[in-house]
Amino acid sequence: MKISSVAKLGAVAAASLVLLAACGSKSSDSSSKDLASDQTLNWYEKSEIPTMDSSKSTDVTSGEVLNNVNEGLLRFGTNSKLHPGVAKTYSVSKDGKTYTFNLRKSKWSNGKAVTANDFVYAWQRTLDPKTASQYAYLFDNIKNATKVNTGKLAVNKLGVKADGDYKLVVTLDKPQAYFKMLVANPSFFPQLKSEVTKLGSKYASNSSSLVYNGPFKLTNWNGTSDSWDLVKNKNYWNAKNVKLKKVHTQVFKDPGTALNQFNSKKLDATILSGTQVKQYKNDKQFKSRKSASTFYLEMNQKKDKIFKNKKARQAISMVIDKKQFVNHVLADGSIVANNLVSQGLASKNGEDFTKASAVKSASTKNVAEAQKLWKEALKETGEKSISLDLLSDDTDAGKKTTEFLQSQLTKLPNLKITNQNLPFKTRLSRSQSGDFDLVVSAWGADFPDPISFLSLFTSSNSYNNGSWSNKAYDTAVKNAEGKDANNSTARWNDMVTASKTILQDQGIVPLYQQVQPQLVNSKVKGLVYFPTGANWDYSQAYIGK
Amino acid sequence: MARYLGKRIFYLVLTLFIVTTLTFFLMKLMPGTPLTNQEKLSPSQIHLIYKQYGLDKPVWLQYIEYLINATHGDFGTSFQFSDQPVSYLISSRIGASIQLGVQAMVLGVIVGIVIGAFGAVKRNTWMDSATTIISILGISIPSFVLAVVLQYFIGLKLGWFPIADWGGFSYTVLPTLALAMAPLAESARFVRTEMVDVLSSDYIELARAKGMSKTGVIYHHALRNSLIPLVTIIGPVAVNIMTGSMVIENIFSIPGIGNQFVQSVLTNDYPTIMGLTIVYCFMLTVVLLLTDIVYGIIDPRIRITENRG
Repeated sequence: MKISSVAKLGAVAAASLVLLAACGSKSSDSSSKDLASDQTLNWYEKSEIPTMDSSKSTDVTSGEVLNNVNEGLLRFGTNSKLHPGVAKTYSVSKDGKTYTFNLRKSKWSNGKAVTANDFVYAWQRTLDPKTASQYAYLFDNIKNATKVNTGKLAVNKLGVKADGDYKLVVTLDKPQAYFKMLVANPSFFPQLKSEVTKLGSKYASNSSSLVYNGPFKLTNWNGTSDSWDLVKNKNYWNAKNVKLKKVHTQVFKDPGTALNQFNSKKLDATILSGTQVKQYKNDKQFKSRKSASTFYLEMNQKKDKIFKNKKARQAISMVIDKKQFVNHVLADGSIVANNLVSQGLASKNGEDFTKASAVKSASTKNVAEAQKLWKEALKETGEKSISLDLLSDDTDAGKKTTEFLQSQLTKLPNLKITNQNLPFKTRLSRSQSGDFDLVVSAWGADFPDPISFLSLFTSSNSYNNGSWSNKAYDTAVKNAEGKDANNSTARWNDMVTASKTILQDQGIVPLYQQVQPQLVNSKVKGLVYFPTGANWDYSQAYIGK
Repeated sequence: MARYLGKRIFYLVLTLFIVTTLTFFLMKLMPGTPLTNQEKLSPSQIHLIYKQYGLDKPVWLQYIEYLINATHGDFGTSFQFSDQPVSYLISSRIGASIQLGVQAMVLGVIVGIVIGAFGAVKRNTWMDSATTIISILGISIPSFVLAVVLQYFIGLKLGWFPIADWGGFSYTVLPTLALAMAPLAESARFVRTEMVDVLSSDYIELARAKGMSKTGVIYHHALRNSLIPLVTIIGPVAVNIMTGSMVIENIFSIPGIGNQFVQSVLTNDYPTIMGLTIVYCFMLTVVLLLTDIVYGIIDPRIRITENRG
């Protein structure tokens, strides 16, 4: 028997609705006086759109465009706050396994109604082995998803059903607190079956072989072009609050060219390269957008018994001057990471997760203390001197990282470090097979919830390359994913506990978090940025006078 | 002539075959996969995607299938742009590259001839030194440095021409200038040397002795004769422009194949890399073949020797 806690969730949805309305009224106040006559945003991308098929999109560019021309059940707003999208409201059953979304009456750009069946079709298509979607794993927790994806079950066995035209019922294998965040990702967007079947392999291969249900429509895109336009979609349900008439996007692969274009006012935004950051750090148009990816050092406990010793792990952490590293070595705007979870990803009552779970010992730099700890660790493990391999990618940043870490780590007595910079694929396979002593790894979150990072380091997880294992950590993560999944406060506390545990025990050494340094024309207002997935929403943006 | 042509075309096909084979196997040795988020995929999902792209078959089978399809102009489907045939990717972009290449070639060679001739005629004056300096600079400054300088001063500071982008003749001015500099310098240097030789030869002396005007001699005898060897450098100059365009197209954000070539290397898009390599190789061999034929036509000695041999 399904019991929906409509009251509570209805309140959440209502709150978001109110917020959206507030947004609308605020900007409509400004509409008469503050809007420039030409509501065109000149936007910039680093690479072309590889595909507009939401079942196949994996990259940031297509994700971003999809998020602005289509709409899922819910939408991300500032700080990853969820807003109603095609779904007006939704409810979750008491056991947390059934989500019921109530859809509004809205239209595709060709005038057809957006119905629950469009979602069912799209999700089934993404999981169909024939589609070979690279994001199919995001659906793993939906009932039968894995079996459908491996071809063991027919697609219609997937745990998503349309109950009439405007009600979508999703059944999960186990409660998943962040499922509502997943449905805001482009991979979960609806698709119109009649279009997909009619166009076959031509579907989504250029701007006219697609239909749109989002704030904008894509035009002037031939499938491989370097520029494209988004124009306002009159059929969008919230079209009256969309101020921009057009978003002209141009691809610039050379950051210098993009900066010149920005300075000559041909572009309203640009992304800066490392050297440009130094020059523009104090410009009033400078914005630094925290992305959801953390770089960290893993220490292999299976191969090197010294890393079974907590003091040794702490010594590694304490001896590294992360501040000097991000400011003077990387110098690309990246920030120091003292936490596995990235900053700006999630917050509760206005407090960022990284603050709530901060651990002092993991964020202090103290060379003398580190040397002392290392000596003790050597003594306790009966080692005299140790030489270790340090693995990283063969990219520019990867080389800078290993060179810097080598200079820092060799401050520890009787430690010799050899750097190995390998191509990504090789580095990955060596990390996974445990063929390393120290490795610089990175993780980017797919959805704005700390569990995206924390689930990596449970004892049995295949990404836990260093084989660090901690019972308290495993329990906390298990509770967050299991018994506390429906209790947001308990779940938050579980995640804080897990995060504190891995930092106190120094299971890994967080190094830095990537940041996208940007210049944005100060006349552009209302742009919405969020650190995971599609990153940008221009539906609330406008050009001020 | 027919036999000569036939032989050359056979070599052209052979070259294409060798290049295709080498690139194919080098691609297979390259580290990296077309998957964008490999670390998050399970082995069964990876297998599924490989199957979709035909990467699960043995390498020799992939190679044979590739060769058969390539002869029909089918270079497979791009990894980077899903469901876009590589042939479409190339055909929709090659126009911009050819336009830019031809413009740069024509501009570079014509201005180069004028400068070179001028230097030879005014030999050992300050004007000659000026032309020499221009050609030395043109050869030694890489096109991408010149591109950025043009972009900053003419595009941004003076605002005469668009900084980048593609959308009409004015957009081609700066990239054409940047690309034309190398052929300009090359041909100027070449023409000057040739013409200095020609100007001191007996038949020029004779023409002058007959009482022909100085400009008449230069135009009718000296310049025409010094241009014949210029044909030989058209091949290398074309190569120069093709390789230069990869960087120039990136800097000026021109939707051409050079730009795409760089991108496909960065994204491990093997089918596109292969397709573009074959297209580049084809263009190059055709240009070389054409210059040889033209050379044969304007200089009969070449044809005769070939026929005898």
